Amino acid sequence: MTVKWSDLGLRLSGAVVVAVMVVGLVALVIPYDPADAVSYDTLLNPPSAAHWLGTDGQGRDVLMRLVKGTEAFFLPGLMGGLIAVVLGGLAGAYTGYAAGPLRSALVGLLQLVDTLPRLVFIILLCTIRNPSIPLIAVVAGLLFVPTVATVVRRKVEALASEDYILAHIAHGFTPARILLHHILWLQCWPLLVRQAAFVFGYVLFVETGLSYLGDYGVQEPDPSWGNMVAQVKDLAGAGAWPWLAPAVAIVVTIASFLAFGNLVARKGEEALR
Amino acid sequence: MSGAASFLALAGRRIAASLLLLVGASFLIYFTIRSAPGDAVDAITPMGTPPEIKEKLAAEFGLDQGVLGGYGVWLSRSATGDFGESLVFAPGQTVMEVAGPAFEKTLLLSGGALFATVVLSILLALFLGEPSARQQGLTGALYFITSAPGFVSAVVFSAAVNAGVQRFVEQAGHETPAWYPIPIYSDSIVPYFFAGFVLVMGDGLLMDTFNAVRAEILGVRGAQFIAAVRARGASVTPHLWLNLAIPIFSAFVSRLPVVLGGVVIVEYVFTLDGAGYLLLEASKQRDFPVVVGLSVLFTLAVIVVGLLSDVARSVIDQREVARDG
Repeated sequence: MTVKWSDLGLRLSGAVVVAVMVVGLVALVIPYDPADAVSYDTLLNPPSAAHWLGTDGQGRDVLMRLVKGTEAFFLPGLMGGLIAVVLGGLAGAYTGYAAGPLRSALVGLLQLVDTLPRLVFIILLCTIRNPSIPLIAVVAGLLFVPTVATVVRRKVEALASEDYILAHIAHGFTPARILLHHILWLQCWPLLVRQAAFVFGYVLFVETGLSYLGDYGVQEPDPSWGNMVAQVKDLAGAGAWPWLAPAVAIVVTIASFLAFGNLVARKGEEALR
Repeated sequence: MSGAASFLALAGRRIAASLLLLVGASFLIYFTIRSAPGDAVDAITPMGTPPEIKEKLAAEFGLDQGVLGGYGVWLSRSATGDFGESLVFAPGQTVMEVAGPAFEKTLLLSGGALFATVVLSILLALFLGEPSARQQGLTGALYFITSAPGFVSAVVFSAAVNAGVQRFVEQAGHETPAWYPIPIYSDSIVPYFFAGFVLVMGDGLLMDTFNAVRAEILGVRGAQFIAAVRARGASVTPHLWLNLAIPIFSAFVSRLPVVLGGVVIVEYVFTLDGAGYLLLEASKQRDFPVVVGLSVLFTLAVIVVGLLSDVARSVIDQREVARDG
């Protein structure tokens, strides 16, 4: 039996997505004191049976920090994705279906937000407020609302003149029911899944990026995959495992979320045709 | 209306819309400044800033007035390119003196990296042709590698280059290059090429551009007019590239904002004195006028790129003008 590449990709990326979700939930409940974890007897130990991914420059177990590091982006990523999908979906549905000055004003506002360079705006915000990662995730979600709204609007515009939608109107269904249930829920879910996965990946990118830079994200000694990668600056080639493991984890997680979102959406769109 | 008049009318409308967008976006930036907790002047200045500097800053940013009045004051100064003076990064110099040259370097780096991405995408699309099951392993691997965030690619790339140079120097006995070890501040142009390489290979840019370019090439190749040209025995190549000019140019400009986002951290990893590095350094040192000036310049770049894309599309494709006019 041959397995199609897309199916293999879906299974592999799906496995990573599930694993990240499980680890993210586990990380929320397992106790970890970063100060207690420091051990001068185990500085920079290579991977072994006792420490599967080795230890870092302060003798801390890399695997444990990798698991606890998911806390920094797991809930914020879900929150950012949810905000972008809910607000973007509603805005896209409204601007694709309605007409009039309110619609024009909303389209203008979405265009305005879309103009802001996302990372630059987040850095500006960090300069002013020194915000927490959850607040940054909320802002990232809001900055993606126009992107989601645009793809949903195009879909709604394409569907609005379909026979079955006209039949729903003729049956006396309310515009809200047609928009929210028949178009957004039943027809746009593949688009929304793709966008939610993308925004989750973006929040992970922003969190790890800011934590890597050191001043705004998660600060040492608390773990983040970003500040773990930043150890490369201090180790000067002494050992690669403390920063290579989180670097690989970032790439695998982002690639898997993007691939999973795309492949699920593609399957969903095929099923809807 | 004649073709030229229609085009001018369209260009005028697009320019007016872009100006409106710029005013709106600048208001969002200003509103963000005013949302600072507590006293806005204290929130945006480094600890120990003398009171006279605070007063000057409050006047420049209109912080001593209401939000709309203050925005008017700030906008009237910013519209002339006056974003005030740097507080910490280069005291006494205007923001434009500090940010202008850095922004030029960043635009050059981003434009160069994007140009290389588009060329590479075209070559890859021509080499691979139609998508097939056999290619999926290769494209999947490329997709995986290039979806790494720019800063992760930069860190891994720097570590690999440092290790390679160290081994080469030890074995061959050569002098270490001026740019070694990465990151080190140097006048060498080599780190810019490294940063360009990382920008091409990171943030999913290459595969995103490749997918768009391949779809366009396959679409034009399969078009009926190309079959007609072929049937006449004429060369297909000029028709193919003429019709690909618009979508490829569009692929180029529409991805510039993505590269401008990625370049911020990549410049920082390679210690390149571009606008991204300056933005992060100024942010860390709370050099607020520089951060705001650069934020406006980045936003302006995104808007101008969008405008150029629209106008250029109209120049090449007259149907745009007819549709709009």
